[in-house]
Amino acid sequence: MTSSSATARKALSKIACNRLQKELVEWQVNPPAGFKHKVTDNLQRWVIEVIGAPGTLYANDTYQLQVDFPEHYPMEAPQVIFLHPAPLHPHIYSNGHICLDILYDSWSPAMTVSSVCISILSMLSSSTVKQRPEDNDRYVKNCRNGRSPKETRWWFHDDKV
Amino acid sequence: MGQGEVLTPEKQAERLKEDGNSYYKKERFAAAIDAYTEAIALCPNVPVYWTNRAVCHRRRNNWKKVEEDCRTAIKLDPNAVKCDDLCSLVARSTLLSTHEQAHYMLGLALLQREEYAEGVRALERAMELETGANPTGKNMVEEIWQELAKSKYILWEKTSTQRSWELQSLKEACENALREKYFLDDHQSEGFLDETAAACNAQQLDDLDKVFKKAGEDDVPSEVPDYLCCKISLDIFRDPVITPSGVTYERGVILDHLQKVGRFDPITRAPLEPSQLIPNLAIKEAVQSYLQKHGWAYRTD
Repeated sequence: MTSSSATARKALSKIACNRLQKELVEWQVNPPAGFKHKVTDNLQRWVIEVIGAPGTLYANDTYQLQVDFPEHYPMEAPQVIFLHPAPLHPHIYSNGHICLDILYDSWSPAMTVSSVCISILSMLSSSTVKQRPEDNDRYVKNCRNGRSPKETRWWFHDDKV
Repeated sequence: MGQGEVLTPEKQAERLKEDGNSYYKKERFAAAIDAYTEAIALCPNVPVYWTNRAVCHRRRNNWKKVEEDCRTAIKLDPNAVKCDDLCSLVARSTLLSTHEQAHYMLGLALLQREEYAEGVRALERAMELETGANPTGKNMVEEIWQELAKSKYILWEKTSTQRSWELQSLKEACENALREKYFLDDHQSEGFLDETAAACNAQQLDDLDKVFKKAGEDDVPSEVPDYLCCKISLDIFRDPVITPSGVTYERGVILDHLQKVGRFDPITRAPLEPSQLIPNLAIKEAVQSYLQKHGWAYRTD
């Protein structure tokens, strides 16, 4: 069980609130294929169901993403993790943390929840093996204090998968 | 204060203003107002004394006085120099020149007493002055916009209700006329009107409905088109600027990005510096014309 909520979160700024409301409306009108937003009244934490794309290793598998928004979203990236059980993937740790550059160093405020979801699905889809990252055990052990993946100093494995 | 006698009225007034400013800092608004009033008595032609006093009145919610002082300040000097005076004490107003501030506060005062049309004009003037100011740094566009949009939305609500009521009654009159015409035709031909006439009448009523729906369309709240919205805030543009990549963003938002996230264009990731941002006047005009037609788009919530 990951305790991602360990870091106390500040309430969303007005700008963040505004933008998230707009994203939510857009999502409802035009949701990305393969994703379902679980409706809650919590704008700051979205739980999204992902269905593996047909014709890939993850076809028909269902996973859950948890997206937490910081006070100054979108000037800061959201924290995105898989809820247990996380898919077996060379860039996804068993605690649900995802090694994907756009969630950290390469974040851009022009990205949206929807575009992040599509990137994650494409990362899943292009995988050729269902396995954990090599350093899984070490990494997960280091995160046992409830550290957010955003505090990790990632080195990005490669951009093929 | 032995040299008091040699002071010119201008210098005395300046001293009084400084006294006023330090009272203001201590939130002693009545004392500050007295000091500015004395300064005004000595030198009534200095706009900043009036606007500073207006700021104090504002803090005391005395909007009538705010309005009076702002009007005087505006009349005095339309090209007042930037003041770094009391304005810099008022966090919200740090960046406004005396003149802009006079328009801004006048607008607020008018809106307080629900003088929307004139209040909006004052705020628009402040907004216009402010968009030109400090193009690469922080400005007050967003604050002014918020106030402006609120009032514009109220104005729209009022006028659109009236419009839709008028449209509705015109529509009913037209429908009745069509039905009556059919009835008369029917009567004239002594009941020999065939089914085509009935179908034609039904079609006309249907068309009439469409025409009126179309006529009222602009007043039906929907989504603002994407091309009039900033790709980051997803909100309608106030002060749009274009990057060398050809992407348009809201000035305040892209500046915030450049400062906090990185020196690149958020969409193309091409390197980007604040000095490369150019106002996108065409989009600004498009936004203005859109807002003129679709007042509901001022909704800020």
